[in-house]
Amino acid sequence: MVKHLLFVKIALAGMLVSLSSGAWAEADPKLWPVVKEAFFAQRPIEDNVPFIVLTAPKRAESGAQVPFSIAVDQTQADANAIKKIYIIVDANPIQLAATYHLTEQLGKFNLSTRIRLETDSFVRAIGETADGKLYMSAIAIRAAGGCGGTIDNDEAAVRASAGKIKMNIEAPASFGSPTAATFIIKHPMRTGLQRDLVSQGFLPAFYIKKADFVYNKKPVMTVDFGVGTSEDPYLKFNFIPATAGTLEVQAVDNEGKSFSHQTELKS
Amino acid sequence: MSALIRLLLLLLVSTSVHAELLFEQAAPGVFVHHGAHQDLSEGYAGDICNISFIVGSKGVAVIDSGGSLKVGQQLHAAIRKATALPILYVINTHVHPDHIYGNAAFVAEKATFVGHAKLAGAMEQRKEAYARLNQQWMGDAFAGSELVKPVLEVADTATLDLGDRQLQLQAHPLAHTNTDLTIQDSLSGTLWTGDLLFVERTPSIDGDIKGWIAVIDRLKKSTATQMVPGHGPVVKDWLSALDREQGYLKRLLDDVRASIKNGGTMEKAMETAAADEKNNWQLFDIVNRRNVNMIYPGLEWE
Repeated sequence: MVKHLLFVKIALAGMLVSLSSGAWAEADPKLWPVVKEAFFAQRPIEDNVPFIVLTAPKRAESGAQVPFSIAVDQTQADANAIKKIYIIVDANPIQLAATYHLTEQLGKFNLSTRIRLETDSFVRAIGETADGKLYMSAIAIRAAGGCGGTIDNDEAAVRASAGKIKMNIEAPASFGSPTAATFIIKHPMRTGLQRDLVSQGFLPAFYIKKADFVYNKKPVMTVDFGVGTSEDPYLKFNFIPATAGTLEVQAVDNEGKSFSHQTELKS
Repeated sequence: MSALIRLLLLLLVSTSVHAELLFEQAAPGVFVHHGAHQDLSEGYAGDICNISFIVGSKGVAVIDSGGSLKVGQQLHAAIRKATALPILYVINTHVHPDHIYGNAAFVAEKATFVGHAKLAGAMEQRKEAYARLNQQWMGDAFAGSELVKPVLEVADTATLDLGDRQLQLQAHPLAHTNTDLTIQDSLSGTLWTGDLLFVERTPSIDGDIKGWIAVIDRLKKSTATQMVPGHGPVVKDWLSALDREQGYLKRLLDDVRASIKNGGTMEKAMETAAADEKNNWQLFDIVNRRNVNMIYPGLEWE
């Protein structure tokens, strides 16, 4: 299965003179029953729930960096509050792109990210409640086959810049209201399925595994990343700062190296 | 004659017309075929870029071979109509699939394949993905289109002799792609830019926008009498063509930088960046959006 669903280091999508094709197979609905059993064996999932809303281009310009947004129209005060959201790309060789762990500091969950699509696929957000109930929304995205990145084969430079973080909170601050924070971390997010020209084999997986966000020492969100999240992982999300303070993030890669950053929100 | 037979005859005639590539003679011994400004979604059959051959007193050089074995064979047939001289070199201006898959038609001629020093590696990295995509786009029309890599690799400059005319090859740093090569013919002064220059068709970025803008500055100092772009007509007033292209790229770069600086989003910038260039280019909506998607994440780190 992995064999023909290759992530290729250089963005395939990017190399073509023009992209978008009527010749693609559409997103394949037959993949989901298999993927579903792998992740949620025997568990019922309520589909097409109106309170999980996904936004993405119908046709992605580049499979390497597909903009994807999730909004949940409920808060943690809701009786059936969603605690975790899994992002699954049916047709990717590694389907789980990310898992978001929610807290009340987020208010109504609203997050934009960028994901990789190997080919046309359904992309799903599955919300899980504290007692294990599952709710799902899905969206079909056509992608010009590529889970790539930039053309940069300089290993030393890639390693040296990996883990650099930029974080920003939208100004002016409005305390007690949803406020947008943007987080980007420099990282190749290697899938383990990309060709290495030197060894003729595959480059080992190398990716950010996790990021923990806290505001004034209180948890805001934890993200478990998979390699379906694009190179240089990007998150823009709302949270509700009660007062002025400091947003801190600690990220860790799959080799155990950790990176941290903080940004202040002034009154 | 029944209408049906007439229709069938017409179809036969039009098929045979399509089987032949049309070439203009841009200078003595310089032949250029212009592919269609067509998106890959609309019946792409491997013939969208410029394909050229140059005839010297000793032999022939091909510059870009088209997107399939079939197009390469049509190019081969056109060369054989013009001359019986040996085909000495097949030069690829960069790695994109519309420019390289006709190479297979020249293996039997024992031509020397020529490209940028990074071309063979880039071909290898993209090989499987390109094979899959070409199959989707063209189906049977892609049959037999083996990927043929360069054996003569140009890291900086090189000279090829065709007899009474030399080709000066120049490799460029990361710009349109990481494999851009330009070729100048000593006899006519014609410069082949590959996709470093797009005329009419929206320039598409697969390398580095800043690097490309810098390489255009270098091309502006050219001594060429005319330029053959990767797509679009041969231009005598190449300075204006380079200016137009650079103008678009600079506008795009400025708009994306402004979006990042002002806390905008990539999604929004895909709608708005360089939008007033729309009427200057073909296939703008598709290519410009993808350009934004390509460059935005990298520019966030400036």
